[in-house]
Amino acid sequence: MTPVNVLTGFLGSGKTTLLQRLLRSPRMARTAVLINEFGEIGLDHLLVQRVDESVVLLQSGCICCSIRDDLASALRGLLSRRERGEIPAFDRIIIETTGLADPGPILYTLLSEPVIRHHFRLGNVITTVDVVNAELHLSRNREGIKQVAAADRLVLTKSDLAEAGQTEGVREELARLNPSAKIWDAAQEPVNADFLLDGMPSALMPGPARYRPQNEGARVGGADTTKGLRSHTESVASMSLILDRPMDWTAFGIWLSLLLNRHGDDVLRVKGILCVEGSDTPVLINGVQHIVHSPQHLESWPTDEHRSRIVFITRGIDQGQLRRSLEAFCRFRTAELALA
Amino acid sequence: MCGLCGVFVGEDHWTDATVGESGSGGRTRRHERLHRVAQANRILKQYGLKLSDWQGSAYLLGNQTGQTSIVSSVAAVWPAAERLRRQAIDPLDVRLIEVLERD
Repeated sequence: MTPVNVLTGFLGSGKTTLLQRLLRSPRMARTAVLINEFGEIGLDHLLVQRVDESVVLLQSGCICCSIRDDLASALRGLLSRRERGEIPAFDRIIIETTGLADPGPILYTLLSEPVIRHHFRLGNVITTVDVVNAELHLSRNREGIKQVAAADRLVLTKSDLAEAGQTEGVREELARLNPSAKIWDAAQEPVNADFLLDGMPSALMPGPARYRPQNEGARVGGADTTKGLRSHTESVASMSLILDRPMDWTAFGIWLSLLLNRHGDDVLRVKGILCVEGSDTPVLINGVQHIVHSPQHLESWPTDEHRSRIVFITRGIDQGQLRRSLEAFCRFRTAELALA
Repeated sequence: MCGLCGVFVGEDHWTDATVGESGSGGRTRRHERLHRVAQANRILKQYGLKLSDWQGSAYLLGNQTGQTSIVSSVAAVWPAAERLRRQAIDPLDVRLIEVLERD
């Protein structure tokens, strides 16, 4: 199964720059790149010419819905050309979306299209966030929050141009919005392709508490930035839950499917490592809005801690009620689901 | 797979996935389906609806007046149940949660 990474982020937030840095790594020599064009001038294409034959420009508009078929066709085309030996045998695909792309339909295409789902597996979703303009983007771009919530890796860009405290403020708010994503500062740290493209989501590993109640204050340094960002993101909240004993997968599936049926638009992300009854090894669950990845078995637990950890990112949902509902449906004791 | 339209995808829905050694909790596939039906009925009975397995390949959802609907997965049960019942089934509904807590 060839891994597919989705690179998304606001307009001008540095997606292509990051892509260029990634592609310089020898490890990325066999990577095919799909670029989703928006507008008439293929600037992004000009900037990533080094991948020439493997670049497929999608024909028109935004990837999110109107040309989802193009994405499927492009992926099938790459697969077919690889099989016929017409292009170098790539071992990874990176899809760079437009800044306006809703990541949901892209993930839906990858996980549900009959040919694609049997040849490709979804790797990390990487979202770039321009530190200087984060507030502007989150306030004007409805898809911005979805892009942040869908991310497995959040990449801060332009932090070298930020004012004092601005980076910390953005970092603080992103950690609140999506505790399941690992944050990486592109301006301060060298590119680590392994870290960005693969690996276990950080919040699912045992570690310090990552849950922040919605109205908790930010650190002093980033307080102004966080306050500004928060005014645009206040309806979005995240919650990390821990369960000590194995859970009934069937009961959990029934609860989650019912939740997504009624509130799928506002369940921006569900991500978890589950300890389920009848299995010695953990199961990963990963959902973005209505779209749920087939549960994935890991060969072993990443650490000695064999507990379920689930992260929910929701919009306009009372998370206390969400937790109580999960406990009632799965017959957990009251407050048995601990906040991480 | 889409929680809303998963029924049209035509392949196994994520709720049908086997996650244990031989099914969740070590159950056989048949036993697992019956367990799934029982778990769903715990919710559906609050709305006068009942789910049953249909030859191991689909589910039959019915109400007390005999109206029935065939659905392919548990995820497809909920929209069908809401159509039969003509009301939303909300897992965050405090009345439903209280009933399940007493259950």
